[in-house]
Amino acid sequence: MAYSETNPLANEFGFDVDGPLAAGWIALLRVVTGWWFFHSGVTKLIESGLNYTYAPTYLRGMTGTALGPLPVLMGENLAWLVRPGVPLFETLIGLALITGALVRLASVGGAFFMTLFWVGNAEFGHGLVNGDLMGLLLFGTMIVFGAGRYFGLDGLLETTGIVENYPTLRYLLG
Amino acid sequence: MTQLDTVERVALALGAVSTLLGIVGLGIVEILAGQPYGAAPTTNEAGEVVATPAVDPAVRTGLVIVGLVVLFGLGLYRMVTDGRAATDGQTRVTAD
Repeated sequence: MAYSETNPLANEFGFDVDGPLAAGWIALLRVVTGWWFFHSGVTKLIESGLNYTYAPTYLRGMTGTALGPLPVLMGENLAWLVRPGVPLFETLIGLALITGALVRLASVGGAFFMTLFWVGNAEFGHGLVNGDLMGLLLFGTMIVFGAGRYFGLDGLLETTGIVENYPTLRYLLG
Repeated sequence: MTQLDTVERVALALGAVSTLLGIVGLGIVEILAGQPYGAAPTTNEAGEVVATPAVDPAVRTGLVIVGLVVLFGLGLYRMVTDGRAATDGQTRVTAD
């Protein structure tokens, strides 16, 4: 590749979004984020099974947040769903990101979880930008880039007949 | 990349402005207002609160959440308009 006077990095060391290094980096981010959630979910499953009783307690404690009464209502009325849902969905979201299947759909779920963690933990001792917000932004990054297409199963799923017939499905894959 | 229509441009701007206002804009206000400089109160060794944030953290987190919800809505809007375009036999947008 020719040397570029205006952009010396525009060669094999370039970081173009459609280049191999960027694709590898996005895939790496996806798998690490997936492992983060998978580990969190599967260890809850090992310890508590499908009865993670802390989840509704945590939600009921989320008073006075930007989410208003929504988390408290969830903790009080949806405990039957939240107790098995937290470990189960954390595990499934993690698996989806690790394998790269249904990444956008899974990342919407991950972003929902991270919003509750970010607002609920309210550990802003070092500022509003903390690890939970970064996790939330990571899931946003997965959605925007369609991270499952990079060394993930979504790249294969999008070549199937059903996705070609219903291209809107690509908004859930990718 | 396909062109953004007016609704999409407004949503993109609104989402970005709201998110950045919550994090950066009001973050600057917190710094200028003095201690605690951030979104958590400052306590002394006895654990008593000696300085509280100038802006309620719920306001800042709320602005960020609103911004991200708007951007999510933009994604849903593109999904719906893409679906309609596909049904009508057009190729206005793609999922890329």
